[in-house]
Amino acid sequence: MREPTPTTPPQVAIAGCGAISAVGCGVEALRSALRANASGLRTSERFNSPRFQSCIVGAVAEDFFEADENDPVYRLAAEALRQARDEAQTVLHSIPAARIGLVLATTKANIEALERISENRPCSDSARRHLQGNLLAADLAAEFGAGGKVQCVSAACVSGLSAIQQGAKIIQRGEADAVFVVGVDHLSAFVMAGFTAFKAIDPNGCRPFDAARSGLSPGEAGAAIILVRENFAPGSAIKIRGWGTSNDANHLTGPSRDGSGLALAIRIALNSAKLLPAEINYINAHGTGTPYNDAMESMALRAVFGEACPPFSGAKGMLGHTLGAAGVIETIVCVLALRDNFLPGTPRLNSPADGVPDSLVREPRLVAKLNHVLKLNTGFGGINGALILSHG
Amino acid sequence: MDKIVIAATSQVAEADLKLARLGSRFGRLDLMSQLALLAVEKLGVNFDSLPRERIAICLAARAGSLATDAEFWKGRDAAGGPSPTLFAYTLPSAAIGEIAIRHRLTGPNLCFVGDSRDVLAEAADLLRRGEADACVCVYCEVVSSAAAGMIQSTPTSNVSALFLQRDGAGQILPEEFDSDMESFCAKFRA
Repeated sequence: MREPTPTTPPQVAIAGCGAISAVGCGVEALRSALRANASGLRTSERFNSPRFQSCIVGAVAEDFFEADENDPVYRLAAEALRQARDEAQTVLHSIPAARIGLVLATTKANIEALERISENRPCSDSARRHLQGNLLAADLAAEFGAGGKVQCVSAACVSGLSAIQQGAKIIQRGEADAVFVVGVDHLSAFVMAGFTAFKAIDPNGCRPFDAARSGLSPGEAGAAIILVRENFAPGSAIKIRGWGTSNDANHLTGPSRDGSGLALAIRIALNSAKLLPAEINYINAHGTGTPYNDAMESMALRAVFGEACPPFSGAKGMLGHTLGAAGVIETIVCVLALRDNFLPGTPRLNSPADGVPDSLVREPRLVAKLNHVLKLNTGFGGINGALILSHG
Repeated sequence: MDKIVIAATSQVAEADLKLARLGSRFGRLDLMSQLALLAVEKLGVNFDSLPRERIAICLAARAGSLATDAEFWKGRDAAGGPSPTLFAYTLPSAAIGEIAIRHRLTGPNLCFVGDSRDVLAEAADLLRRGEADACVCVYCEVVSSAAAGMIQSTPTSNVSALFLQRDGAGQILPEEFDSDMESFCAKFRA
């Protein structure tokens, strides 16, 4: 039953987080890696082949998966969602299943199944079913008791931020009291072959915003955030404050050269959050480590913030580029920064490139107080996303 | 709140591509992007009437980009590896990128995998929230034979498009509805 939309939409709060990535299983593993500025990028035997530009990737520990795993994406998503639901269990206890929705963000769903079917290798019915992101979302919703609205978002590397926006909108429209937002992508030969074809992988592992950067490092992760209507969360919970998306309308795979598209998304987000640029205390950048992306992002930051760019950093030197999961797991990085009043660093950075704003955070550090944090992602298709999180 | 109207609809199938003349890049696009571009062209909308950053694009693809995924993966053992051009289209949002580039639309984007039920509702919500003044809505049912075999479906290649805008001429979108995009397109044409 849809409730009437109030004049002022309710605020949306974060009640739980879950993550599994190259730096380990659980949000505490992510927090420890952030404090240590550690990198989870390492050589993976799975991709140690001349077919791929590099085998340095952000892979989840091999022992997480079953032997000959044929549905790795479901396993990653379910683990992250289990963790997030556990953290939010007190809040979720009072919400009926019919009032819980689920929004999944993924770029390739279970592409492992396509590889297996093409090569006549064993592939279970569920693994095959999860080739379709909407069915993957439906099965996660069924297993985890989300009986409300279910969506699957696939907007390239902006999928995660787009899914968080969708989750917030579903709650604001009164269609749910809680939404499970799940971001997931698995490191596959398919994705590695694609980025190799693009010559987009840094053979030595990615170095976002570094003068010597030469490409990205593919990664994999499952990440989940439980969004709830504000009245279900403690007053101190982190809130979704605003968002913006835009399109460069310039090139299918390359970022705009002047950063104007991303700058537009940031301005829309600031406007929707009713904040001035000077009120942003930290920015978690997209920071892929490709020469063009990081240069474009630096220009976008200068266009919006001028010479007063807030402290910013990028997490892909730690996690790799986790594609559909990136927006969700990097938003969890922002949640941890806000909860701990902590500025994450930029792992694997040696020497910042020319043009990168001076406020780039090299090493993590504690600060007196973070109030408002901006998360950015950009993706193929020219799509840009910006999300603002705030303290209660 | 201004009323939201369906200003134009269109529907295309693979056979319609024979007569399509949409520029020199068109032949290099994957099938879903070609059909999506053609469907938007057939809307006959003058995008100059609105600021480009206020026009959103909302797209759903029934089987994601599986048809192009299968095509890309077929080339995995080719000399020099699989095609980088095709890799760019192994995302359903590639079609959004192509529409945005052709019509220089810099507004918000939404891209779903699944049926068309959410497209109109989410597009209308973008307009009601003031995030856009108009929205190009696209639903892609593009499933090649190879993809159909993987998901136990039937091959198909149809794309519907619809242009929603605040106010203006057209059929008024009801406040509440529970219908897919194809039904709205059919009703509009009737």
